[in-house]
Amino acid sequence: MHKSTYISAGGHALLLGYAMFGGLFNAEPLELPSMDVSVISEAEFAALTQTPQPPDVLADAPEPVFAAPELEPEPVVPTPEPEPQPRPEPPQFVVPEPVEPQPEPAPEPEAVVVPDIAPDASLRPKPRPAPRVAPEAVAAPEPEVEIDNTAREATQPDENAEQAVEEQSQAAPEDAATEIVTEAEQPAGSAPIATPRPRARPRESVASAPETSSAVNAALAEALGEPAASDVPSGPALTAGETDALRIAVQDCWVVDVGSLAADVTVVLGMSMDLRGKVVPGSLRLVSSSGGEGAAVDTAFQSARRAVLRCQKEGYDLPQDKYEQWQEIEMTFNPKDMRIR
Amino acid sequence: MTFRVMIAVLAMLAMPFVAVAQNGPLRIEITEGVVEPMPFAAPDFVAESTAANEFAEQLARVVVSDLQGTGLFREVPRAAYISQITSFDAPVQYADWKAVNAQALVTGAVNVNGTTLSVKFRVYDVFSGTEIGSGLQFAGTTQGWRRMAHKVADQVYARITGEQPYFDSRVVYVAEQGPKDKRLKRLAIMDYDGANVQFLTGSEHLVLAPRFSPTGDRVLYTSYETGFPRIYLLDVGSVQRRVLESQEGSMSFAPRFSPDGRTVVYSLARGGNTDIYRMDITSGTSARLTSAPSIETAPSYSPDGTRIVFESDRSGSQQIYIMGANGGEPKRISFGQGRYGTPVWSPRGDLIAFTKQSKGRFHIGVMKTDGSEERLLTASFLDEGPTWSPNGRVIMFTRETQGASGKASLYSVDISGRNLKPIPTTGGASDPSWSPLQR
Repeated sequence: MHKSTYISAGGHALLLGYAMFGGLFNAEPLELPSMDVSVISEAEFAALTQTPQPPDVLADAPEPVFAAPELEPEPVVPTPEPEPQPRPEPPQFVVPEPVEPQPEPAPEPEAVVVPDIAPDASLRPKPRPAPRVAPEAVAAPEPEVEIDNTAREATQPDENAEQAVEEQSQAAPEDAATEIVTEAEQPAGSAPIATPRPRARPRESVASAPETSSAVNAALAEALGEPAASDVPSGPALTAGETDALRIAVQDCWVVDVGSLAADVTVVLGMSMDLRGKVVPGSLRLVSSSGGEGAAVDTAFQSARRAVLRCQKEGYDLPQDKYEQWQEIEMTFNPKDMRIR
Repeated sequence: MTFRVMIAVLAMLAMPFVAVAQNGPLRIEITEGVVEPMPFAAPDFVAESTAANEFAEQLARVVVSDLQGTGLFREVPRAAYISQITSFDAPVQYADWKAVNAQALVTGAVNVNGTTLSVKFRVYDVFSGTEIGSGLQFAGTTQGWRRMAHKVADQVYARITGEQPYFDSRVVYVAEQGPKDKRLKRLAIMDYDGANVQFLTGSEHLVLAPRFSPTGDRVLYTSYETGFPRIYLLDVGSVQRRVLESQEGSMSFAPRFSPDGRTVVYSLARGGNTDIYRMDITSGTSARLTSAPSIETAPSYSPDGTRIVFESDRSGSQQIYIMGANGGEPKRISFGQGRYGTPVWSPRGDLIAFTKQSKGRFHIGVMKTDGSEERLLTASFLDEGPTWSPNGRVIMFTRETQGASGKASLYSVDISGRNLKPIPTTGGASDPSWSPLQR
């Protein structure tokens, strides 16, 4: 035990002695590397440390890129375009004419994507003109009048001629309406309280595959001496605008008795058309009906037939180059939206 | 391999052609039409004898009035006519009638032989260039020329609209005279258009709510002849009448025939309670159909006679209920705001007409027999008491104006809510009941 005590005391004594007298055995300090310095003047120092100062007037500064204060109204495309691209047409309700198929269809011009260069500081966008579509199909404009160089005498009314009767003045219905408003529903004031129900949007004509036997039928018809189908201008399917024009023309003459049992009946009329756009006499027929029977069906059929015949006048405005597409027509007269409500 | 690739490429190129081609006829659906009167022409009928001259124009005028009165037809002014009808059998110049936009053409001829009047007519669909139906002839007396005109108009209406007609019908109503506080009332009968008025009772006693029988030869009504309301049965031809219900200490009112005409359903008030009863007209035996402590009244049979619609305040407010023809638990069908009363079942069976009082105004309305699709057709200070035309297309009712000098008059309205118009009557008129089509 004492041995370990002596060892411990000796160890501590050595440690204390080194702490007290160890500095006597320190070596010389190592030499530090030194660098040469050059002395510069105060003016030179100021020239080295000075930063560029902004001009006094901030407005004269070049605008930062993100501010875009003077954006061009026309396409904001940061990257230079190789060639001016046609802008895609705004969306129209009227489907344009079908594009003739090309062997190598050119890729559609992609819509120009304006990169979001500075979403936080963009200017108020300019309103783009909204596409406006006439509610009804309009007829083709009258051909321009050519002024003849030769002067002609003005015509004089013939007193002996018979007076022409104004036929159309009788046609204007005084109380025609597309919606029933009963006395109980009439507003107290004259101002309308609700807008009329909008017309249905034009629907695209359904296109489908041609009959595979058309060639066989054509050959058969030719063998039988009938005019070949190829003699009839076929053309592409009618556009939605063309079918819509026909629909509007007929519906303007379709008188619906909303209180009758016939107003519950939907009828499908089939008809053949000639090249002038008129119904071939005797071809109007009832294809099918639903929602009623007996006299109600017959009344609905007669009403639809009158509409077709009354509004055809000199023929419906249908493209003759697509005659094969509308040579046979089936019209469905569905008064579900006209019923008493 | 190269050939197959070429075929594939050609097939791909042909795709656009396939997409625009069309199979079968061009198909178009039309869902919007117009609601407007149909223009028609009805030249003066051809007089086939000198004595027929005075009727030739009158007959055509009544036919035109009937058709135009529906609101479904509009006469093309005669000044616009291009061709004239000088012979009943001459071919029709459709182009001339098309030119004046007449969709239908009615031609007729009249002949008088002594007191016998014969009328024949044809109806044409101008734009189809065809005759609708075939020519028809009626024979009668010169005194009945107006009714014959109604018959012609009925045929024209039915052929064009496909519906049952109603022009050859009559209306029984309460004719009123004098100021409101001293008003005299008596039963009267007239043509549906207000012509040929005849009185069935005197004005000594208050009379109410006449109702035609299904055959149109009898009328039920309520009279205060004894000081209390009693139900009477009146024969229209002989004007003979008899009391139908006379229980002591009770009041009977609001009678209505069953569809077979052999039973009467009515209200009977006794001891402060009003219930619905049924009586066999021949035997006079009656049966009680309701037994609630509330007020049940204004019963009306369904066209098939299996159900009865009536008004009751058993729920706390006046509403419309339906029960079986033999009574039983009724089912409430009206749930709108306001009070509902005087329900009447349509001859078609699909609708129930009623009077509604709501927010200080009265309405005539219709609803389906399950209470759905309620539609109010009129609105005024006081509209009440609807009655159906024989074909279930038109409703006639009483409209009374406000104030001490207020006057009751008859109006009619199409069930579509269009064509609201007054019925011309001499003096005041109320409580109409439309007869069936005359035979």
